[in-house]
Amino acid sequence: MTKRLLIILCALVLLTGCWDERQFKNVKLVLTMGFDEGEDGKIVETVSIPTINRASEGQSQERVQILSTEANTPLEARDFTDQSISESFDPGKLRVLVIGEELAKKNIYSVLDEFYRNPSNNLNAHLAIAKGKASEVLSYQNISDTRISEYISGLLEGAEASSHTTGENIQLICAELFEPGEDFSLPLLAVDEEKQSIKFSGMGLFHGNHYSGIDIPVGQATMYLLLQGYKGKSAHLTKKVSDKFEDERYNYVTVNVIKYKRKVDIKAEGDTVSTDINLKLRVRVVEYPADHLDKKSTIDELDKKLSETLTKDAEEIIGMMQEANSDIWGIGRQVRAYHPKVYEKLDWKETFPNMKITPKVDVEIVQHGIIY
Amino acid sequence: MGFMKRLFFGDHEKLKDRTIVDQAKEPEQPSSTKLADNVDYLTNEFNRTSDLRIRILEKGQAALMYLETLVDQEKLHEAIFSPIELGHVDDISKIPSSRVTKNLEEAIKALLKGHAIYIQDGSRHISQFNVTASFNRSTEEPQNEKIVRGSHDGFIENIMVNINLVRKRIENRDLTIKYFKVGKKTNNNMALLYLDGVTDPELVQEIEHRLKYISADMIHSPGYVEEFIEDQTFSPFPQMLNTERPDRVVANLIEGRVAIMNEGSPTTLIAPSTFFSFYQSSDDYNMRWFTGTFVRLIRLASFIIAVGMPAFYIAVVSFHFEVIPDELIMPVKQTINGIAYPPLIEALVMVVIIELIREAGIRLPQPIGQTIGIVGGLVIGDAVVKAGLVSNLMVIVVALTAIASFVVPSNEMSTTLRLLTFPLIFLAGTLGFIGITFGFMMILIHMTRLESFGVPYLSPVAPLRIKDLKDTFIRVPIYLMNERPKDSRAIQPGVVGPSREWKEVERSNNQQQPKQSIEEGKSTGSESGPNADS
Amino acid sequence: MKKVSQQVQKAVQTPTPNQQQKISRRQFFFLLIQTQIGVGVLSLPSDLHQVAKQDGWISLAIAGSLLPIILIVLYFIAKQFPNDDFYQINEKLFTRWGGVVFSILYIIYFCMVARLILLLFGRMISLWVLPNTPFWVLALCMVVVGLYMCNGGLLVIARFYTMVSILLIFLIVLMFLSFKEAHWMYLLPIGEVGIGKILQGSTEAFMSFLGFFLSLVVFSKVEGKPREKLKTILQAHLFTFSFYMLTLLISYSFFSTKELSLVTEPLLYMLKSFEMPFVARIDLFFISVWFVSVATSYTTYLYMASFGLQQIFRAKSIKLFTLIVSILIFSLSQFVGLDMERLEKYSTIVVYEGYALTFLMPFLLLVYVLIYKRIQQKKERST
Repeated sequence: MTKRLLIILCALVLLTGCWDERQFKNVKLVLTMGFDEGEDGKIVETVSIPTINRASEGQSQERVQILSTEANTPLEARDFTDQSISESFDPGKLRVLVIGEELAKKNIYSVLDEFYRNPSNNLNAHLAIAKGKASEVLSYQNISDTRISEYISGLLEGAEASSHTTGENIQLICAELFEPGEDFSLPLLAVDEEKQSIKFSGMGLFHGNHYSGIDIPVGQATMYLLLQGYKGKSAHLTKKVSDKFEDERYNYVTVNVIKYKRKVDIKAEGDTVSTDINLKLRVRVVEYPADHLDKKSTIDELDKKLSETLTKDAEEIIGMMQEANSDIWGIGRQVRAYHPKVYEKLDWKETFPNMKITPKVDVEIVQHGIIY
Repeated sequence: MGFMKRLFFGDHEKLKDRTIVDQAKEPEQPSSTKLADNVDYLTNEFNRTSDLRIRILEKGQAALMYLETLVDQEKLHEAIFSPIELGHVDDISKIPSSRVTKNLEEAIKALLKGHAIYIQDGSRHISQFNVTASFNRSTEEPQNEKIVRGSHDGFIENIMVNINLVRKRIENRDLTIKYFKVGKKTNNNMALLYLDGVTDPELVQEIEHRLKYISADMIHSPGYVEEFIEDQTFSPFPQMLNTERPDRVVANLIEGRVAIMNEGSPTTLIAPSTFFSFYQSSDDYNMRWFTGTFVRLIRLASFIIAVGMPAFYIAVVSFHFEVIPDELIMPVKQTINGIAYPPLIEALVMVVIIELIREAGIRLPQPIGQTIGIVGGLVIGDAVVKAGLVSNLMVIVVALTAIASFVVPSNEMSTTLRLLTFPLIFLAGTLGFIGITFGFMMILIHMTRLESFGVPYLSPVAPLRIKDLKDTFIRVPIYLMNERPKDSRAIQPGVVGPSREWKEVERSNNQQQPKQSIEEGKSTGSESGPNADS
Repeated sequence: MKKVSQQVQKAVQTPTPNQQQKISRRQFFFLLIQTQIGVGVLSLPSDLHQVAKQDGWISLAIAGSLLPIILIVLYFIAKQFPNDDFYQINEKLFTRWGGVVFSILYIIYFCMVARLILLLFGRMISLWVLPNTPFWVLALCMVVVGLYMCNGGLLVIARFYTMVSILLIFLIVLMFLSFKEAHWMYLLPIGEVGIGKILQGSTEAFMSFLGFFLSLVVFSKVEGKPREKLKTILQAHLFTFSFYMLTLLISYSFFSTKELSLVTEPLLYMLKSFEMPFVARIDLFFISVWFVSVATSYTTYLYMASFGLQQIFRAKSIKLFTLIVSILIFSLSQFVGLDMERLEKYSTIVVYEGYALTFLMPFLLLVYVLIYKRIQQKKERST
């Protein structure tokens, strides 16, 4: 009796089923999305939709459709976009989300809320800020990679491996987005009209939920990341170490950071907070045309010179961070964690730009490649 | 219903009484002193069948009767006529190899066995001579259970030969064989084999008990017996192991299980069996134990692949395509774009095609069977993809599933696996991953509830007995399998004693040797040479 | 040979009826942890966070270290009646009809918890995986699983729980994926919200251990001495406690304090953002495995309720009662469905009932039992 009942019930479920079916073959995948500031506080959503035609033999054809829609909210824009494409689009496998400079300067959370709220969204997508408009980045026709998503995500992953950007995705910035006393930075992308490419152009510093407009340039991005305590697969630093050679190229050294040790020392007394940051780098020389690394004195000199230059760089970077009021290192959160009483007295937004941060970089050359 | 009631709510007393009475009531028909009466009775009982030969001897004073289709003429000559010709005896009834009865019913049975009977006028004695002809094929390795290393003989249709194969491997007085007659019309021989003192006597009793209940006109294969005596017939899982390999039977007997053999079929049933015993193959024990374990794990993984793979694929492409990793997303999309049918139908079509090919391959004679495989596999597979009916990926998934289901060493289990795929496909098609979890849970609960002759089907995993895991997921070295698994219900635990003591001895020798060599000098020095580097 | 024949006789004489077979202590252990770890796991971190912020883990630690007191109380009650299950104890203590009334109180409570589990399960699946599937389908899945498992009896339940416990390892491994992104700083400062809030949080944390009452219900069905059983109960508690602590610490260190107040199921949310080379969206796998955990806790409550009814009606088989209880739970849960507000209200009722029946009652019961025993002893002495 019970068995029969069960069978009938199961049949019922199976026959009426498929409430949540979303056939993968009927979905227009959106792998790249961009948001820009529109008129009257509206938002412009740009999506690139690759369409593949199945070929029974040989290479299948792929076409990319780029659509821009203006609406009040991102989801409304998506609904509008849906009306002009066949089938429906789904950002479930989104790989790259680009936000236009103008929009980022106002507030990026309004764009991201939908991604956080709905379970089918991909929180793993790369996030980047476009210098100029996001739609320009997305509609850029490049030659090498067919898909813009692949191009941009490859670009960002490469930059991550060479310690130019942290591998931020939508989820990872979430903590910093909400938590007071902690900020984040996002990679910047710009279209290079001359060279016909999209270029990684540094890290944009954020304050709270908006872009401050101040960037760490590409040249200093590696140092910036090391100060943050982040190193990709390799971290190259190229610095000028002398003026004595006529050939300008002989004056430079390039080192690869093998190991680093970072120590942040926060001192909070009364209502003043100061921070010392010590960065010890153990590096390998990867390019130094001037040679003579067999002498200990040369190496020591190089160590000293590099330490000085890099400390100067660090100071510059800290200056930029303070100017942007972007507490990337989460000093505020640490003050709150370790000195809660001090933190209560302070208004961190006011404190951070004016506090004293002293960097000290120590470089030690430990390897010099296979020649001296 | 009445039978069920009795079975469930006790009342076994009554039933036992009945069987005992049945046994006692053997039909009896005393022979008469008149030859004609006896012959008449026998011919009438056999309905004057044409192959009943009656040879009148000694000028009508005696008759030799036999069923010519069952009798070997040469044996007949040798057993009956040669002694007389050679003058060893002067009368057929005095030949010592004969068995004498006064019961005509018994004579009928003897005739049916292929014996010849000799009746003399004026005597009630009926002499029986065993002159049965038997036509046996050779004990070749069974087609469906091939192994790479190990013994290559298999059971045949003759139960005597089969038992002979087992007896030769177990030269022990404890190997007990019990005959049963089953099938009311066919009257087949059946044998119950077990190792006394190792096998749980209760288990033997239980099986005997169940066998006695069988009341059918024909028992034509072990499948019949299986369905009569197994615990749960409403289950897709086989609860008795089927095998045609003597070595497998012997191994199971030694573990304390019971084997049931049937006349006329090479398949032997082994009870109790657990789920994991279907995944053991004789090959495992002939390999290095590392490889044995590896192969075992692959086989068990094939269970999950065979049952769950198509369901998983369907759930992914029609519910949760988010789980496809970034790099794969476009290639997958590319293959399934523009397929007309939903994945559910696609999968059903492909699974049914594979089953058709398989079934056709088995039924057709071997050379054609192979062609069918190639035509089906290659041509149809390719064409179906090109036509856009089924996606490339689905072909891969279904083919992989089919291969995974063939990995199981037992044919029974392999069909079960393929059957279980279907409900999971449907569940995945309605509820996605949740449906698959639901399906797997139901299967697992079912298996946990299932018992084979008092042994939980999933033992030693549920109930967990860590010691017995030595021969399920892994295959530890033989000398570590020193105890019988509990799931065979064996009453004598030990099976392997300390067999690698020599290693200990060697080690202790090595430790002592330096001293000895100093004391004894050269003589031990040469001996310790090869041991030096160990 | 003689020895063997003796064994034979012995084996024949002792029948092994399956129903009366006791569960082993190992099975008891898994029975307890599988009952306790269920729907709550996913929302526990955020529930505690609502009250005690980043100090939620202290609340849990307090609750976890206080709970053994109640476990020991339950043990003392059960110890007095080594051969009776909970419902039989009731009847002994309060006479037949008093006991029935008392038992029914608990049966109703168990049914309500089962219904709550069903509702929470439906809500979670609907939120995370299948937003359009009607509630009754999801509920049906759970009810069918529970029914099928329960009909096999306690032994099958215990075996199944032991087997699926291997999935807990899978869950733990998945959780450890987040270690790379953990910021232990988010746990600081300690004690920011104050003692009051922390204690309030620990009352919340107590709820996550609710399944412990099972230890009293099946106490007599476990083999071994009472002391050994107590050890098993405490071990199980320790395991559950550590498991909860792990989930809590992992989710608290991954999410910042502000962020956590927005996220309802931190563990899932965390896994959602990871990608492994061969699969993305690990949360979907996690929730599928979690389904098993929920089904096990649901089945325990279903079993406890139907087992109670079976005892009250002195019935031979539990099957009829599991069916009745399942249908009841299923049909009643339809009135609430996925309505968030009513679900909240209902869960508050169940929680209060839980406090009364499983936290307060054992103490009263123990006092009563001790008095009852003394009277009994006096009676015996006087006769």
